[in-house]
Amino acid sequence: MSLAKTRINPALDANWRLRAFIANYGVYIALLVLLLAAAVLTPKLYAVNTIAVVMRQASQLGIVAIGQTMILLVAGLDLSIGGIFIMTSIVVAEVTNGRDEMVIPAILISLALGALIGAGNGVLVTKRRVPPFVATLGMLVLVKGATQAYTRGVPGGFVPEVLDIVNQSWFVLSIPLLLWLGLNALFIFVLRGTAYGRKVYAVGSNSEAAHLSGIPVDAIRISVYILGSCLAVVSGVVLTGYVGYVDRFIGTGLELDSIAAAIVGGTAFVGGRGGLLGTIAGVLIIQILSTMAILMGLDIEVQFIIKGLVILGAVTLYSVASTEE
Amino acid sequence: MFRKCITMLLMLSLLLGTSLVSIGQDSEMMEFEITQEMIDASPYLQSVLSRLDEVYDTSEFRKEPPYRIALAAQGTSNAWSALFDAHAYWWVELLGEEVVSELLYGDAQASADVQVPQVEDLLAQEPDALILVPMGAAALSAPVERAMMQGVPVILCASAVETDNFVTEVGTNLFTVGANLAQWLIDTVGADGNFLMMTGIPGVTTSVIMEEGALAVFESAGIELLDNQPGMWSPAEGKKIMETWIAQYGDEIDGIWTGGAQMAQGIISAYEDAGMEIPPIAGGEMQNGFLRSAMEHGFEFYAWMYPNAMITICLDVAIHVLQGEPTPRFIDFVDTMPEARPFTDAEAEDYIRPQWSDDVHGPILMPDEKLAELGFLVEEE
Repeated sequence: MSLAKTRINPALDANWRLRAFIANYGVYIALLVLLLAAAVLTPKLYAVNTIAVVMRQASQLGIVAIGQTMILLVAGLDLSIGGIFIMTSIVVAEVTNGRDEMVIPAILISLALGALIGAGNGVLVTKRRVPPFVATLGMLVLVKGATQAYTRGVPGGFVPEVLDIVNQSWFVLSIPLLLWLGLNALFIFVLRGTAYGRKVYAVGSNSEAAHLSGIPVDAIRISVYILGSCLAVVSGVVLTGYVGYVDRFIGTGLELDSIAAAIVGGTAFVGGRGGLLGTIAGVLIIQILSTMAILMGLDIEVQFIIKGLVILGAVTLYSVASTEE
Repeated sequence: MFRKCITMLLMLSLLLGTSLVSIGQDSEMMEFEITQEMIDASPYLQSVLSRLDEVYDTSEFRKEPPYRIALAAQGTSNAWSALFDAHAYWWVELLGEEVVSELLYGDAQASADVQVPQVEDLLAQEPDALILVPMGAAALSAPVERAMMQGVPVILCASAVETDNFVTEVGTNLFTVGANLAQWLIDTVGADGNFLMMTGIPGVTTSVIMEEGALAVFESAGIELLDNQPGMWSPAEGKKIMETWIAQYGDEIDGIWTGGAQMAQGIISAYEDAGMEIPPIAGGEMQNGFLRSAMEHGFEFYAWMYPNAMITICLDVAIHVLQGEPTPRFIDFVDTMPEARPFTDAEAEDYIRPQWSDDVHGPILMPDEKLAELGFLVEEE
């Protein structure tokens, strides 16, 4: 690179600053613009009841998006979480059969199974070099098949009443929201304030360099997949309480929505860049759009188009912003 | 045993004959009038109405028993389809090997993409007849035509295809079902009420036709709906939408039209969480979970039935066709299974079965022992 090119050109510098600003704050500005638009188009969004509903529904997506973000940070991807929701719902209903006192054992069993699935994903991706898309898609099919074989298509048991607590709101606060905020606080600390978090970013940025600097790349990747699956179990428990009975299609679409939320929030598909604050904004954007669409009475096709445009817009914006970073 | 089966088939023939006469006649619940405008706007309605008076000459398919029948089913995707399959195996067992020697089964996993090649695989085994539960009206049209070309009579069960080249369809007039639900809502609440509509999965024939029927009635009554959204036949999706509707419209909502009991459960759950009184719901079913909630909350509802037990009629019709008997081209299960008629909250107690689990869709023809084997019976407390 010539010396002349490295001289600071005010126009280029302003351009670079704008790109950096978009990359760092674009999602928050988008959220702000959306909230302003909602004030005009759907003022009902600001009613306390609606905010409580938005937050409760966003939490279901938000919890699983934490795991998905971390997996994306190590340049991975997890499609198997759709199977984990169903597995969790079935385990909770089968193990408890409606008995409140069995909820803790049911959750522990689900977490153990979830961790096993996450470890399977991690091992396939790291040790067998299977692309994350293929490995987790295969795992999704396997888990769904196994749950179907176990239930013969008819999940049994009852959801315990104690899980109904996820449906209660106090003003805008609810258990799912507190759980989402709490988990975000925990994992933001883990990612930003611990050596483990720095290793996650290092593995995603440049796994070769991370390996050469002594970071156990495979172990970090496997651990992140396990964490992601366990968070999907937590979200699955919340969803099970929300629905109130075993549903074989529980959480359908959340795996893709969680990827969308993370991408909209600025987490790079190639890993190493992004974070949970952006994902929180991404989750809120997706949920608010969805709620606004219903408040405006838009057709489902229009809702899908808007959601698609938002994701494509975000990806394009980040791509442009990062081109000359 | 063989004589018993023949007697059964003769009885069926009688019932089919009766059904031919009664199809299209007004049931006590049908209070709306199908107008020419509605017929012109609905290819489905045109197809069903044109087939009401048609009888298929099945002499070309006449064969001596035992028969090998292929069943391309929805598959083990939910309790409804699991019970549908269970009814099929139970009925074949009851008919005996001298009537049906083999039931070739295809599990579509509720997907047209899976079902299309599966039908090809079933046809490759050269069955005597094909019973098809179409997962997509357009996607399954070509396989149906290929089967007919191959000389395999096709009996559509529980849904329709776009082609007219099949022997018969066993089901019900879904346009009328949707319209009846809407009419009940208007009769119960009044034409000046504020109504919401929650449909099934966009593009799926059953959902689309029911919606068509309901909208035709709402429009002819000059009603503008507050909103119409797809609840995807999912309690979770139904609840999410209902929560938003409650936040938006609150107690302005006078009545809700829904295309299935799963979504109705989501609607009820949203009202429970909001601590509000549940308005009249048109679109319940004889599903134990829905009935239990409805009786607990005491709201007004209108339920229809789409019995998984209709596969027994489909199997009987397949045998009827293979015996070369003339067959009506549209067979409404309500006419051969009178217990599958619509009902309201006033009759809820007659339809709830305390021993069934919440996901059982009635009516069930199998004995309780069969339900117990499948895990559909609960221990009463």
